[in-house]
Amino acid sequence: MLKWFEETDRESPNIIYSRIRLVRNWTEYPFSGKLTEGQAREMVSRLEKGMRDFCLEEGRDYDFTMLEELSDLERRALRERRILNGTLASKKDPVGLILSRDERVSLVLNGDDHIRMQFIAPGMKLKELWKEADRADDFINGIFPYAYDRKYGFLTAYPTNVGTGLRASAVVHLPALSSGKKFSSLLGEMSRFGASVRGLYGEGNENYGSLYVVSNQKTLGVTEEEIAGLVEKVARQLAEQEQQVRDMALSSDRLGQEDEAYKSYGVLKYARRLTWKDAMIFLSRMMTGVSDGILKFDGPCPVFSIMLGIQKANLQRISQRPLSRAELDVARAGYIRAELPELSGI
Amino acid sequence: MLCEKCRVREATIQYTEVVNGVRTEHNFCAQCASEMDLGQDFPLGRLLSGLLGLGTESPREEKYSQVVCPTCGTSYGDFVKNSRFGCPDCYEVFDLLISDKIKQLQGSDSHKGKTAKNQTEKTERQEERAEAPSDGKDGLEEQIARLYACQQAAVRREDYEEAARCRDEIRKLRTGSETDA
Ligand SMILES: [Zn+2]
Ligand SMILES: [Zn+2]
Repeated sequence: MLKWFEETDRESPNIIYSRIRLVRNWTEYPFSGKLTEGQAREMVSRLEKGMRDFCLEEGRDYDFTMLEELSDLERRALRERRILNGTLASKKDPVGLILSRDERVSLVLNGDDHIRMQFIAPGMKLKELWKEADRADDFINGIFPYAYDRKYGFLTAYPTNVGTGLRASAVVHLPALSSGKKFSSLLGEMSRFGASVRGLYGEGNENYGSLYVVSNQKTLGVTEEEIAGLVEKVARQLAEQEQQVRDMALSSDRLGQEDEAYKSYGVLKYARRLTWKDAMIFLSRMMTGVSDGILKFDGPCPVFSIMLGIQKANLQRISQRPLSRAELDVARAGYIRAELPELSGI
Repeated sequence: MLCEKCRVREATIQYTEVVNGVRTEHNFCAQCASEMDLGQDFPLGRLLSGLLGLGTESPREEKYSQVVCPTCGTSYGDFVKNSRFGCPDCYEVFDLLISDKIKQLQGSDSHKGKTAKNQTEKTERQEERAEAPSDGKDGLEEQIARLYACQQAAVRREDYEEAARCRDEIRKLRTGSETDA
């Protein structure tokens, strides 16, 4: 079965994926930080039993794992694939994970909050994802009463999530826009609408790959539809402005753009050693070339899937042993050579 | 400049939060920034500590740090340190101390959107009341507001027993006669 990141979405260029995250707490227990180990174990097991019906109802294939049964490497690989965040990947308490085989849907039990649902899809699918999350949430709420207050809405361990408990986000590819002088003031403008934009893999010039995460700042006093709508609007606006800059570059210097795309493909296809930084720079240029129709393949070319795959934990997982820095660069180049499809029509 | 989180390493990452048009500059070292997952989840949870004035040793903060949630044992001091509540009741216990900060952070202090569909008597009663004629509801809200004022005054004079009594009254009004699930 294909994972969500192996699929490509051609409908919304420069929007790589979108995600809905919802956190909820069960009235029967204090928040996760205050649970004893015994309580936490009991709660995770009760939640998991209750969720079995949800999984059946959904008709997807799900796997249940306790994070403590996973090796450190596997946890880090889950973090690289955006299933766990940094806190969860290193958390030592009993944490349950229900993960659909395509990795589009994940439920973390006893993370920062009792239940953390995540729905993810390639392209801009926030409206659809919210509908899916809303249905799942209703179903789960039918089994487990939620901590809820008339004033503050859904109660969460961190007050930054209180209210809707909803974080909507979209990852956009902005290589041309982000290299412009006005980029930081543009981001400032976006944050005035209540959206935050930050680098997926770092800040400023260090954000190799030029991928940016747009997400809502507020969770209280705005409806779920307003949140999803705001993030979608800002992400689409950034993606469109990016395209305008690129179209200008294409019409003024097409040869230059083609040269950059083909050179990047060439390096990635034939290099024997690649650092993460170099690989991300060339993959980002290739992503631009694919999106602008310069690089053509017979089938899809999921560049983002390769970006996820070249991270440290995944490469070590494939090699089934720890790798030194030099070995990692060799493994990375090998991974990319194997994953990159052949160009068509040259 | 030192990283504002660990105060040990040099800050290399500048980070601007804009909440409600208020721009706040943050400076972190690479390690703390990566631990906070600037990319994935919202880091403000941790930054709330800064907003609440961690490190300022005003007598006011010191006094409040003694307020403790009777359900889970979280003190206001714990909350300021971790920006994290211990149980749903903490929201009521610390409401007076944090409602302004939550409003500042979220731009609002009342929920809009989806409501819980808990299949318990408690919620059914809540819903009944929500559907009651508005004059009845206003009376309830007024009563709650009065009790809040009373609770606030009690906290100010460090009369935590009285504050707890007001809190229980508020809870009763909000959720019907039951106090615990
Ligand atoms: Zn630091
Ligand atoms: Zn509490």
